[in-house]
Amino acid sequence: MNIEITASGKPFVHNHSAHCESGVTSALFRDQGLDISEALVFGIGSGIFFGHLFFVKMVGLPITTFRSQPGAVFRKAGKRLGVKFVTKRFRNPQKGMAELRQLLKQGQIVGLTTNIYWLSYFPNRFRFQFNGHNLIALREIEGGFRVSDPVLEHPVDCLAEDLERARFSHGPLEPHGLMYYPSFVPQNPDIKKACIKGMKDTCNMMLRTHIPIFGVRGIRFLAKRIKNSPQKLGFHEACRHLGNIVRMQEEIGTGGAGFRFMYAAFLQEAGELFQSDELKQLSQEMTAIGDIWREFAVVSARIIKQRGKTEDTFDKVYDILMECAAREEALFRKLNEVVRKLKV
Amino acid sequence: MKVNEVPQDITFYEGARRACYALDDQGKYVIVPSCGWSAEDVVNGLAVAELATNLEKTRQEVLKGLKSPLVYHMERRQMTPEILAKTVGILSIRVRRHFRPDVFSNLKSSILERYAYALKLTFDELKSVPEK
Repeated sequence: MNIEITASGKPFVHNHSAHCESGVTSALFRDQGLDISEALVFGIGSGIFFGHLFFVKMVGLPITTFRSQPGAVFRKAGKRLGVKFVTKRFRNPQKGMAELRQLLKQGQIVGLTTNIYWLSYFPNRFRFQFNGHNLIALREIEGGFRVSDPVLEHPVDCLAEDLERARFSHGPLEPHGLMYYPSFVPQNPDIKKACIKGMKDTCNMMLRTHIPIFGVRGIRFLAKRIKNSPQKLGFHEACRHLGNIVRMQEEIGTGGAGFRFMYAAFLQEAGELFQSDELKQLSQEMTAIGDIWREFAVVSARIIKQRGKTEDTFDKVYDILMECAAREEALFRKLNEVVRKLKV
Repeated sequence: MKVNEVPQDITFYEGARRACYALDDQGKYVIVPSCGWSAEDVVNGLAVAELATNLEKTRQEVLKGLKSPLVYHMERRQMTPEILAKTVGILSIRVRRHFRPDVFSNLKSSILERYAYALKLTFDELKSVPEK
């Protein structure tokens, strides 16, 4: 645990988290006196999702997402817990930086959306053009800022020039210097009610979407595409696509297995909150599903590494993904029933 | 995933560690720092190697005089022509024209300065590619 002092002299506790957005949200709420864990924020904000956006390309490869759209966790969790918050975007980078400096001087810590490529404190291998990374600016220091990046173990220093580039970068999902902070946080919000809302929303998103590339249907859609990819694209291209899916699942701050373990942690916490054994069982089932996603990553890595010399084939990947889809569908159907029986 | 199953295979995070959710002995979820997983290393390595190969190919083409150094520096920053165009505030069709070495060599210094700022380079770095 790391303690930092903000400009107002208030201590700020930096917690290591798995996902940037839920980590930032829980830290901002905690700073205002509402002690809430990352997993709980993730569940209340309906962070878990699945989507295979085959038509949106990043570095020439389609995007597979395991989470809801950037910004949704903060917005939904804030709304459901009754938090009032301020969000601001800027046209002019100088104005955006000046406003940030002023807020920090007043002792307010601020959440920022940035481009991960320009944050030079990250290891080189993880820096790529992605405009959806969140961090908290704590205070101004000479030549830069002290920032708490929840994905890292400790708070770090960031050059002012780097931060400006990162906040005002271009490309898909431009942040436009987006900054946000809560202006009012209730001290005793109805966490149970918020959890129920979050879980219902998640079930709807995973089960009742009409678009076949999202939710449980999206997993099946992806499985079929992977199965056909060697014939369609050739073995080498198919490997590139498969590798990209695994990268999205494991590398981009997911807490393992594309957020499935984090959601299991949420279900466990919610189970204790409601004293519900059913939720705790669902948490165990979610862990088992997460383990299958990990197996998918292992098998894919083997295919890529050994170039078809093993018995692992794209058909096997298809089977694993179809099992994931079937079990997730059963889980969310069960959750949908359980959540309606819960008492606030 | 149990706590003892959290992968600690490799250390390509350059000393950094990332948080993983795992079950402890009592079956409760805790956050465990992990220093890397070999399966992840394979897919990350694939992407990194691909970028490096493309960059080297572009560097050779620049040295042969087929492309302007601007292409090399854009790829080094992992940008596409569209992202670069938006960052410097020049139409992407014009940016693509600047990929031609003859056009690039006649550019005004004010435009070159804008490119240098957008790509976080000095003026001299922008005009050449490294001789590895």
